[in-house]
Amino acid sequence: MIDSPGAQIVLASSSDENHPPGNITDGNIKTFWMTTGMFPQEFIFRFAETTNISAVTVDSYNVKHLKIEKNTSPSAAQFEPVVEKELERTEGHLQSNIISLNGSSATHLRFIITEGYDHFIAVHRVSVKN
Amino acid sequence: MVKLRARCLFVGDAAVGKSSLCHTFYSDGSLFQKNYSLTTGVELLMKCINIPETNDSVELYILDSAGKETLVESCEKMWGQPSLLCLVFDLTNEKSFANCSYWMERVHGHCKGLQIPGVLLGNKSDLSARREVQSSVAKEWAQSHGLEYHETSAKERDNCDAPLLSLAQAFHSLYQERREAIQNLSPD
Ligand SMILES: Nc1nc2c(ncn2[C@@H]2O[C@H](COP(=O)(O)OP(=O)(O)OP(=O)(O)O)[C@@H](O)[C@H]2O)c(=O)[nH]1
Ligand SMILES: [Mg+2]
Repeated sequence: MIDSPGAQIVLASSSDENHPPGNITDGNIKTFWMTTGMFPQEFIFRFAETTNISAVTVDSYNVKHLKIEKNTSPSAAQFEPVVEKELERTEGHLQSNIISLNGSSATHLRFIITEGYDHFIAVHRVSVKN
Repeated sequence: MVKLRARCLFVGDAAVGKSSLCHTFYSDGSLFQKNYSLTTGVELLMKCINIPETNDSVELYILDSAGKETLVESCEKMWGQPSLLCLVFDLTNEKSFANCSYWMERVHGHCKGLQIPGVLLGNKSDLSARREVQSSVAKEWAQSHGLEYHETSAKERDNCDAPLLSLAQAFHSLYQERREAIQNLSPD
């Protein structure tokens, strides 16, 4: 598995200077992006080129409901839904979920957190499997 | 520097002074409205509160929701998931205080199991001769429901800023607490 090959984050709805969205793609599971209140919250991944994605692994905390959308356009707009998932609550350790995207091709992936188990949620790492 | 965002819900019986209180948050010199104009839906107001001795702030999305019984159901659809609660009653109206339990229940139905910081406001403290609810009683009720109690007068602009600051601070503390807890998590 490659950690988010050539992926960068182009948008995130929430930011604490000390926990920026870049922490999602830095490959380090200890650093995280933290949301700063209210739902929904989202972040958008951009790949260097259109990529076939079989699955993503999301390491997070207190995420309850996650929606993933994609597009194959050069701009971060006009997304289509791919999958929605209710994540299980964990206490004292991270949620780690492998979410199948069935080889969808995408240049952008949009992750929308519509609900949390708390007011604030954290995303530690998203890894993409081609 | 952190900018937090919170959905702050104002509820309570009709005519207790929710909209009047909300208007005091804008120090634009607008006069206190003596004439009652009932809120028919949910009015959204924004107010940014700086947390003292930090560079952090909390942006409050204040939802001033109608108190009239027949309007509540349609308003509830716009409440979403609140982060903070401001429950208001009228110190000169015993019934508006008794109804606070009912409002708490309604709000809890929207919290999806989350604890939300809240305040109870006894408003119209300027009408002391007509007071029907004693401070000690209101305070006790507030405490038993996990709320912080304040008495305010929207008319005299008395003590109106303290409750918002207190809510913003509670949200800020909650954030710091949660952030620390997440920092101390073990991976998997
Ligand atoms: N004396 C006095 N009157 C007040 C005070 N606050 C509000 N009022 C009066 O009470 C009446 C109702 O105030 P509103 O702010 O419209 O009440 P509300 O809670 O928003 O009512 P709804 O929108 O119907 O739910 C108005 O006539 C106000 O002038 C106060 O602190 N002191
Ligand atoms: Mg009103």
